Amino acid sequence: MIEWSEQHKQIRAMVRRFIETEIVPKREALEFGDTPPYDVLRKMLATFGIGEMNKAMFLKALEKEKRGEGTASLESSGKGGPAAADARAMQMIPIIELCRHSPGMVTALGVSIGLTAGAIMKRGTTAQKERWVPPLLTLEKVGAWAITEPGSGSDAFGSMKSTARRDGDGYVLNGSKTFITNGPYADTIVFICKLDEGNPEHERKILSFVLDKGMPGLVQSPPLRKMGLHASPTGELFLEDVRVGKDRLLGETEDQPARSSAKETFTAERTGVAAMALGIVERCLELSVDYAKNRVQFGRPIGEFQLIQLKLAKMEIARMNLQNLVFRQIELAGAGRELSLAEASAGKLYAAQAAMEVALEAVQLFGGNGYMAEYQVEQLCRDAKVLQIYGGTDEIQVSQIARSLLA
Amino acid sequence: MKILVPIKRVADPDNANKVKISGDGTEVTSEGLEWKMNPFDEWSLEAALRLTEDGKTKSRVGEVVVVSIGPKDAVATIRQGLAMGAERGILVEGEDKKLDALVVAKILQKIVEKENPDLVVLGKQTVDGDSNLVGTYLAEFLGWPVANYATSIRTSDDGKTLTIVRELDTGAATLEVKGPAVITTSDRILHPHAVKNGVTPDDFAYPESEGGRYASLKGIMAAKKKPVEETSAAALGVDAAPQVSYVSFKLPPARSGSTTFVESAAELVQKLRNEAKVL
Ligand SMILES: Cc1cc2nc3c(=O)[nH]c(=O)nc-3n(C[C@H](O)[C@H](O)[C@H](O)COP(=O)(O)OP(=O)(O)OC[C@H]3O[C@@H](n4cnc5c(N)ncnc54)[C@H](O)[C@@H]3O)c2cc1C
Repeated sequence: MIEWSEQHKQIRAMVRRFIETEIVPKREALEFGDTPPYDVLRKMLATFGIGEMNKAMFLKALEKEKRGEGTASLESSGKGGPAAADARAMQMIPIIELCRHSPGMVTALGVSIGLTAGAIMKRGTTAQKERWVPPLLTLEKVGAWAITEPGSGSDAFGSMKSTARRDGDGYVLNGSKTFITNGPYADTIVFICKLDEGNPEHERKILSFVLDKGMPGLVQSPPLRKMGLHASPTGELFLEDVRVGKDRLLGETEDQPARSSAKETFTAERTGVAAMALGIVERCLELSVDYAKNRVQFGRPIGEFQLIQLKLAKMEIARMNLQNLVFRQIELAGAGRELSLAEASAGKLYAAQAAMEVALEAVQLFGGNGYMAEYQVEQLCRDAKVLQIYGGTDEIQVSQIARSLLA
Repeated sequence: MKILVPIKRVADPDNANKVKISGDGTEVTSEGLEWKMNPFDEWSLEAALRLTEDGKTKSRVGEVVVVSIGPKDAVATIRQGLAMGAERGILVEGEDKKLDALVVAKILQKIVEKENPDLVVLGKQTVDGDSNLVGTYLAEFLGWPVANYATSIRTSDDGKTLTIVRELDTGAATLEVKGPAVITTSDRILHPHAVKNGVTPDDFAYPESEGGRYASLKGIMAAKKKPVEETSAAALGVDAAPQVSYVSFKLPPARSGSTTFVESAAELVQKLRNEAKVL
């Protein structure tokens, strides 16, 4: 793939128009206030028929699953082909477009659909998929995926303290989670913990449970104050003796490969970062070029100074590289292949750093205005930083890449 | 009901700062411009779609054919119309430079004679040429009634009789028109109750909107497979030589970006008089 097709551009134009009329005017409330993003996101999914289309596809696949033909997910059949490539492109274009204005919205949406519904689709039983997935796909229900704890972040499994203890037919869950996207508002939560059989912690099995808002013993904190990404509410979860039946144990068996399942989720999460970074970089570049042409100092547009030109050139290089990463992902989908974890890590590391660097340089290029909230680069710069932290920090990506090289 | 909607691609008005004029000043150069459907045409297409659907169930009860006259890549604009919901498209190949309102109206006349629509709904003007002529010329050539600047269209018999409201500077005029007819629309045609077709329940309100409907992803995918017929002025038997030639173009003066805050009305008057020298 060397460029966007006419159809892709059409989708882009539509999504852009929606964002400019429905989201940009609400920037103040979404990015500088506490307005949750879900109403606008729901409207976007409904306007373009994305939610309904995904739901219809999923329900059809679910019927097949019931007849014993394969497992229902939104992933392409794995056979590839132009339709699979197009489906991937159609997934990425709204991400890119949204990130030009609100990486937070993409995070809220991605966690709800990609991670939460994604985890249930991958590992749930047919009944569990039927029960929880459809309303997540239209964002009628908001989803959260909770692995991080106050004491366990990068070392997600090693230092995990949350536990499940067998209790009759079911389990009792305890623990606390933090930095959970959509945590404050989530209706459906995938909670990852260790099965405590009195054995040493490092030998414990990893289990995932699906929880609903309002279950006795489950407390969802208000949104945490943070540096950026304000359109994505982030919070803590506290579980105190939450009783659940086996029907909430993902897969309904204790012998689920939950570690590899979480790893698949990491790959999916990391894959999306290239498209997010591309949106941020495109927007920063566009605003910077415009500013460089119009801002006059020393009697000429600042774009005539070589040091400013260097910034613009580096931004353009980052944009090209990121676009190529996105195109490669579309190509891979067309070939019926997925990124390996190491490649997803490498792409994520590059994308996160490029977005951060470009956004910081954009602030610099705007001078004092760059530091002011009125100019969008200020927000994009704060938002970009998170790409280096969530979904595995830069340092963790480095070690992942190195591990695969040295294996 | 069958409706023909002519649509034109224009340089995206939001990117108007990229419009350039050729060295000799006689042409607007189109290199690097982003194209979009003329907004007035998008609104007239929206009106035509509302006239041919059950707004409540969104099922189609009529046919909308979009036609564009322009270079080959204008097919993208046609696909956009198809993605919004039109059934078919026609591309009449022609070079933008060699078209004026008269040529366009003559070509459209031939298309109407071939297609036999119950209505032709056009935007009242394009945002590039701004000439406001095609609808009226076309009605004249066809010998059909024309209602310009419509802000409301009602019919309950597939366009055989139409009640049209035209909003003018002096007030609103309501007219009865017998179809087939030519209607040009203004932006007010997007009002939630502006279009009624006797199928959509009368109390149904379309959402408030500043533009035509968004194409859904499904619509965009379906548009790829909808038929687009390609033809040319010559094939239609139109001897098409423009009668208007452009002598020169000039860009508007660059806007100065500075804003001055004043404390009082008196200071404003003083500044307008002494600094801006406009009073
Ligand atoms: C806005 C936001 C949203 C989030 N959403 C979610 C969510 O929805 N669900 C969820 O479960 N989690 C979520 N997280 C949590 C996120 O995944 C973690 O913050 C991240 O994995 C890092 O963990 P930590 O914060 O505990 O940092 P730590 O792991 O404590 O890391 C601290 C520092 O040490 C470095 N470090 C750690 N280990 C190594 C090592 N082996 N080698 C070198 N350096 C190392 C790190 O790179 C980092 O620089 C979110 C975080 C944020 C900021």
